[in-house]
Amino acid sequence: MSGFSKAAGRLLRADALTLFGLITLVTLLFLGIFGPWLPLGDPSRIAAGPRLGAPSAQFLFGTDELGRDFMPRVVQGIRSTFLLSAIAVTITAVIGSLLGMAAGYLGRFADQAIARGADILFAFPALVAGLLVAAVMGPGQGSAITVISIATLPLFIRVVRSVTLGIAGRGFVTAAEVAGASTLRIMLVHLLPNVMGAVMVQLTYALSIGMIIESALSFLGLGVQPPDASLGSLLRQGSSYLTIAPWMVLSSGAVLSLAIMSVNLVGDAVRDALEPLKGRPLT
Amino acid sequence: MRLVVYLLPRVLAALVTLFGVSVLVFLSLRLLPGGYADILLGPFVTAEARAIIAQRYGLDQPLVLQYLRWVWAMLGGDFGISMVTQRPVIDELLRRAPVTLQLALIALGVALAVGYPLGVLSGTRAAKTRKGRDFGRVIGAMGASVPDFVLGSVLIFVFSVWSLWFRVGGYVPFSTDPVGNLRTMLLPGFTLSVFGVALILRTTRDAVLRVMTEGHITAAVARGDPPRVIIRRHILRNAAIPVVTVVATYFGFLLGGAVIVEVLFSVPGVGLYIFNGLLNRDYAIVQAGVLLAAVVFISINMLADVLYALIDPRVGATR
Amino acid sequence: MPKKPRTSLSVLAVMAGLGLALPAQAQGVITWGKPAEITGFDVHVAGTVASWEMYQMVYETLLITDDELSLQAGLAESWEEESPTRFIFTLREGAAFSNGRAVDAQDVIGSIERIQNPEIASYWAHQLGEIVSMEALDDRRIVIELARPHATFLPALAHITAAIIPVQEYRDGSFDPAREMLGSGPFMVEQHNQDESWTLTRNPHYGRDGYPRADRMEVAIIPDESARIAALRDGRIDFTTFENPDAPQMLGTAGNIANHPIQTTNYYRFDVNALSEDSAFHDRRVRQAMNLALDRDAINMLVFNGTSAVDYPVPAAFGTDACHDLDTYALPRDERLERARALLEEAGQPSPQVELMASSANQVLGRIAQVAQQSLAEAGFQVTIASVPTAEYLQRVFTDGDFDFSASWLAGYTDPSMVIQWWNPNFAVWNLAFQEEIPELSDALADVRSTPASPERDQALRDICAMIDEGANLLALVSKVDYVAYRSDQIEVRLADRTGSANTWQHIAEFAPAD
Repeated sequence: MSGFSKAAGRLLRADALTLFGLITLVTLLFLGIFGPWLPLGDPSRIAAGPRLGAPSAQFLFGTDELGRDFMPRVVQGIRSTFLLSAIAVTITAVIGSLLGMAAGYLGRFADQAIARGADILFAFPALVAGLLVAAVMGPGQGSAITVISIATLPLFIRVVRSVTLGIAGRGFVTAAEVAGASTLRIMLVHLLPNVMGAVMVQLTYALSIGMIIESALSFLGLGVQPPDASLGSLLRQGSSYLTIAPWMVLSSGAVLSLAIMSVNLVGDAVRDALEPLKGRPLT
Repeated sequence: MRLVVYLLPRVLAALVTLFGVSVLVFLSLRLLPGGYADILLGPFVTAEARAIIAQRYGLDQPLVLQYLRWVWAMLGGDFGISMVTQRPVIDELLRRAPVTLQLALIALGVALAVGYPLGVLSGTRAAKTRKGRDFGRVIGAMGASVPDFVLGSVLIFVFSVWSLWFRVGGYVPFSTDPVGNLRTMLLPGFTLSVFGVALILRTTRDAVLRVMTEGHITAAVARGDPPRVIIRRHILRNAAIPVVTVVATYFGFLLGGAVIVEVLFSVPGVGLYIFNGLLNRDYAIVQAGVLLAAVVFISINMLADVLYALIDPRVGATR
Repeated sequence: MPKKPRTSLSVLAVMAGLGLALPAQAQGVITWGKPAEITGFDVHVAGTVASWEMYQMVYETLLITDDELSLQAGLAESWEEESPTRFIFTLREGAAFSNGRAVDAQDVIGSIERIQNPEIASYWAHQLGEIVSMEALDDRRIVIELARPHATFLPALAHITAAIIPVQEYRDGSFDPAREMLGSGPFMVEQHNQDESWTLTRNPHYGRDGYPRADRMEVAIIPDESARIAALRDGRIDFTTFENPDAPQMLGTAGNIANHPIQTTNYYRFDVNALSEDSAFHDRRVRQAMNLALDRDAINMLVFNGTSAVDYPVPAAFGTDACHDLDTYALPRDERLERARALLEEAGQPSPQVELMASSANQVLGRIAQVAQQSLAEAGFQVTIASVPTAEYLQRVFTDGDFDFSASWLAGYTDPSMVIQWWNPNFAVWNLAFQEEIPELSDALADVRSTPASPERDQALRDICAMIDEGANLLALVSKVDYVAYRSDQIEVRLADRTGSANTWQHIAEFAPAD
């Protein structure tokens, strides 16, 4: 665990950019989690203002084509996009780690089967897979989660497998085997702590991919169902009105990009903290 | 010989992967609610009409038989016909492949031309600052964070409000009108490249940073070689390995059909074809399109593996 | 390294100069920005507007409709109604397919036979009625005899689905209507790149001298509305249509873009599932409550910015006043809500949970659904919205009957007696999955089909409309307006103010590039 506390220490000594990412992420998470209880207005109330009204003191992000206040919709969008991606990526991390460890540790047939499975998912064009799954399961939150999981699963499997391969032959694992520990116990007690770092790094990476996939699906009309909003569905809504109400695409697009960027920046910091790259000057 | 030994298991694995992809795409299409009969007849679809259409395209037969027939026909070069146009799917795919290829090449070209030099610059700078922080991270983080459909929407907005030189939609082949072609292809190509710029920049930067920690660089520094020479002689060659891998994956994804960008900019490439085929439940199109994308993706990755082995002789030797 | 960008920039600048110097328009060419690709080539089969619009460029029908939606001569220069069951059509002199062969009586007979052939799976056979015999009197005259009077027979012949195809070529195998188009209309297909473009050229044998005025028509398939707006602005297309009522506003105030809203007999509708035991709407009172609680004015104001109008089962565009005085339309909204709540109470379902399905391909439907959701909540309904791909929507509604209610739009065609047949599931067999049969209504509908337009028919339509409203199985919402936009500096057009289904471009032969 000392490795983690050291990493945490490095994370705290972050630079301005990481700090910016961290603050943005915390702010967006706060809005996403507590949005429904904040006095921002009702995201689905139709005719709260004029149709396609420009941003004003009353409606900070303007209003949409049904006269809804766009700001609470964006806040709701943050909530859906973050929440769905986070749920999906967490589930995937667990499944992916187990499969990756099994592949790396058990080897032979299990390894082949799992590696080929990951290859198949990887070779399938991601968005087409998403469209297929969304169509088979019916559009909505469940299919968004499944699509994100399918797209990010190979990432976890590959990384965890290669880390596991590196440590499977080490002394403490062999010792546990000799002592008669069960396979499951070895995986959970001895291997898992050692792959955690790599999983954490992948987790932030997968989270940003998950957010892109969720919003892409919703952008194509197959994700979150109206009147609920996700950042992608708001973009879809706004893209029909770009020329006369650009604030819809600009506000939801900017928030989506900021959200992904904050996750990426914090992810970079986590990665640097866990596996620091020490460069040295040339002169 | 070494190359054959190195490649053989990979080719076998690729075949297994392709088989998996083919089963997956075939089955999931059949599971989709709604079929071509619905699309053709609109609200006028009846059970009888549906049966007639199903029979016409052999969709009333057992799934296993349908699958085997499809694979068998494909082995003979027949990729099926589109139910909408009654024309062979392969003709249309071949017509569209160059469009997607051009788009991918533009995106990759921009991504490499911008991302690689910036990555090297950023990597060497970052090493100098000791804390490893510099402009490369800012650009990398921003580029990787703007989804293509956000950027695409904003570009469409900008270029439809102000009639600047670029155009949205109205593709013409490069061979008939090179200028008109570029007018329509540069915007979507640029949209696609932004993620690639970030990806290549970050990979290059990390690779350069990593290489600079290695012994022979330290030795060279100790010898007092000028930085320019060190970069050219040692760093670029070694840093190229992870970059090649990432470029291959990125290119594979681009060729697999940049669906959203093609849809957004009305670029008649493979991605748009598969997308419409899916909406129309035109099974043969989606099946052939996805399989083609998988073949391209796998081949490019295998090519990258070979390149990897050539650049870094240690890779093949360990097996 | 630093020099490269500069050279490429200058190359770009040169290319920009070249691009701008290219002529925007060649002579005699008009360009149509088409929102959707056809869904199949077979004119007798496809049931989608996107296909019908393209067929109209290539094929002709015996009859056509004018701006008043009354029947006019088409491929047939005249027709005679010898009795309510016996019609004689005389083909126009000089009408010819684009391969040069004159259209003759056998083409008419063969085309109608093909529509009636169950193997072809044409849905139009129902509209034509039961034909007992067809006979060619000579090359240009055909007698058609019906088993019984059928008021939609003539209007059905005016719909593009009843197009006359070259039957001789079809029979000898040189023409396959399932994969190509060959007709006697103004244009013929020269080239087709799926989902991308069509090139049509004038049919040199087109029957009207001097028409079509354009030598060539380029068709660009542009599904995205913003991209269509951009194309219209930069002059790459000459004319197009929008579903979005805000499109005219989005096109801006540029003087060279003209807007022309066309009133159609089509309207947006809700299909309500009366048959499924799983649906709250199985209870007629719940359906009636929903019908009463709907705020059609809000749909018009919020979704269409007030440019549409509340519509009725018998489309307002036909000029009848059927349905106008029913409670659903005449009562103030407060009273309607009260009635709706009372009906729900009576049905023992004070807050029914229902799912409203809409095709995700049409964003207007999604907006209607959201406004409906809010107005229905006021009466106690808990509506969830499912926006699904078109194919899934069609299967669940028309085949599986696995839904509560769904939003779509109804083609009103060219005669009121045609459209209201939708309420007779024996006729509109595709509605069998969710439509409850009301025998009195079916009888009345059968009667009105054989009643020519008259005050009696208007009264019959009023009675029918009341029955339709009572059943609350298919609801009319608001009229569908086609928003046509064109470049007035690039093209001369002729557009009707009112059209039947998919007849937006009925005067295409008169479109010509502006000087």
